[in-house]
Amino acid sequence: MMKSNHMVALALSTWSFISGVAYGADVAAGDMTDGQKAALHKTIETCGTCHGVNGRSVSPTFPNLAAQQASYIELQLKAFKDQTRADPDAQAYMWGMASPLSDATISALAGYFAAQPAAPGRGGSSALIAQGKHLFEEGVPARQIPPCASCHGAHAAGMATFPRLAGQHAPYLLKQMLVIQSALRTAPVMHGVIKDLTRDQMQALVAYLESI
Amino acid sequence: MTPTPCTWSCRTLLQWLGFALCAGITSPSWAVPSFARQTGMACAACHTVFPELTPFGREFKLNGYVLDNIKQVTGIDTSARQTLALNSLPPISLMAQISYTHTSTALPDSGLTGALAKDGDLAFPQQVSFFYAGKIADGLGAFVQLTYDGIGDHFGFDNTDIRYAHHWSFGGANDNGHDMIVGITLNNNPTVQDVWNTTPAWGFPYAASSSAPGSSTSAKVDNGAGGFGQSVGGLGVYVWLDDHFYAEISDYTSAIPGGAHPLDSTQANVVQGSAPYWRLAYERRWDRNSLSVGAFGLDANVHPGNGTALAGVTDKFRDTALDVQYQFIGEDHLATFLGTYISEHQTLNASALDGFAANTHNSLKTLKLAGEYYYQRRIGGTVGYFSTRGSADALLYAPATVTGSANNSPDTTGYVLEVNYLPWLNTKLQAQYIGYQKFNGQSTNYDGSGRNAGNNNTMYLLVWLNF
Repeated sequence: MMKSNHMVALALSTWSFISGVAYGADVAAGDMTDGQKAALHKTIETCGTCHGVNGRSVSPTFPNLAAQQASYIELQLKAFKDQTRADPDAQAYMWGMASPLSDATISALAGYFAAQPAAPGRGGSSALIAQGKHLFEEGVPARQIPPCASCHGAHAAGMATFPRLAGQHAPYLLKQMLVIQSALRTAPVMHGVIKDLTRDQMQALVAYLESI
Repeated sequence: MTPTPCTWSCRTLLQWLGFALCAGITSPSWAVPSFARQTGMACAACHTVFPELTPFGREFKLNGYVLDNIKQVTGIDTSARQTLALNSLPPISLMAQISYTHTSTALPDSGLTGALAKDGDLAFPQQVSFFYAGKIADGLGAFVQLTYDGIGDHFGFDNTDIRYAHHWSFGGANDNGHDMIVGITLNNNPTVQDVWNTTPAWGFPYAASSSAPGSSTSAKVDNGAGGFGQSVGGLGVYVWLDDHFYAEISDYTSAIPGGAHPLDSTQANVVQGSAPYWRLAYERRWDRNSLSVGAFGLDANVHPGNGTALAGVTDKFRDTALDVQYQFIGEDHLATFLGTYISEHQTLNASALDGFAANTHNSLKTLKLAGEYYYQRRIGGTVGYFSTRGSADALLYAPATVTGSANNSPDTTGYVLEVNYLPWLNTKLQAQYIGYQKFNGQSTNYDGSGRNAGNNNTMYLLVWLNF
């Protein structure tokens, strides 16, 4: 089992990053009070209950946040807070969790989790992974489905507001594809991209993404 | 027909009703929308299906019920120490249970010898509870339940757990570091502070009839007629280490509501001094699974009371229990297995001396098994098995209509079949059937008055609302 909640000390060790960089625009590092530091520390612990304090979650219900794009985390936390991201798990878990977060705290959390080492890939069916790799890199030209790599990067590490997908839990990715396809989750670019993607193709893709 | 004076067996029946009432009070365990209001999270975050806790629900409780996402009323002193952190809206909620109970064969009339009670009992309500459940201050939270009992027609203090918790980390900034929660709990029911659904206060069945016959005894740490629930108060300290190891030691003494205070000979089952409770558990989580194994126990010296002085020799009860819980929480499919075994050694020097027990040494062993399945947290069911076996005792388990034992045995075994439908996460419609293979020692004519175990088979329909 991953020692997710063992990593509070790691959270503290990353403190200089949080306070000095991610928090920077709102509160300069030297200006943070002990109370602000303690509050942010508690917030990271709270996030870590599900996502792991090091951003690597145990249950695939909750996505890994380690090495996720900071801009993407910020965007999603704000979408949870203003309730514009409204898929079932967003409503069940994240609307409440994100509601009290200030913009400064959102920035700090995004910076913190983006700085954590990525979760390692986990192997699966080699045939499925190969099929998923082909889909990720080539898309399905005959159905006007572009390569995922064109936005998410050749190694699925993400780019700015396009999320990192590499090493993510396959069941989580599959669920997101389904809720985006059914418009339960709003994602304007993705709606057009995956509208014709079949469930089998999705399963191949997520098997590949979880493996890298 | 002319009412007859209350006979001995009639009094016994009334005693049984008292037992059943006690069981009804001590057995329920709830999930409360107060927590959802405080956290802004849906029930599914903390519960598979209420009241069973998910791993996140266990963390929430171990952390003192204090996770909050609503505006706070705060205060600080001149050294910037926080002096107040109060929810701007109180985390209160209401629970209502309306039930219908039908036993295979009607029970004897409580006032007329030879007559039968109405066959089928609507309890409207069976129970209504008010809760304050949530944060009191930073690190300090409470689960407080006040209950109106529709069968007993009275209002009283129910399950309560007030706790303070603090989160620590140590051991360096790497994977060898450790994470620890240390907490203090003040509660009125041994195991109400526990976070697994294998301990009695929160164990299956989560709801049952208050008017159907049930086992006439239970271990002190259990939630049946012989248990300590809501008649003791205790203070404990617990440690939760690395999301794996749980250890707790608590100490209880009698805190019996109502009756004579200070406690005297008119009360019953009064703890002499204090009764230590202990708990050890290990949990492992992987993927969508969690598995816990544990042990717990209670040692109590008890004055029988009931007209005898609270002095001299006592009865001694030593409870030791083992439990195991497995959970799978998928997107659509949820499954749980619960297993609990409780062994109680009784040294009944006081009861034997006072004429309440025939033996000075008895034992009582209880086994409970349950397997649950739910589809999308909407529809599901449970298959359960229960068994109570103990020493025969001519005075503790004397023959009596319905409640007694012709062969002086407490042995009761049976099964529970349950189907639940939840149109909403906070609303449960339940159909439960309890079948008895053996009741108080035998399957046929167990009470010496011609009643069979199967006559007590019970169909129980429940509407359970939390809001």
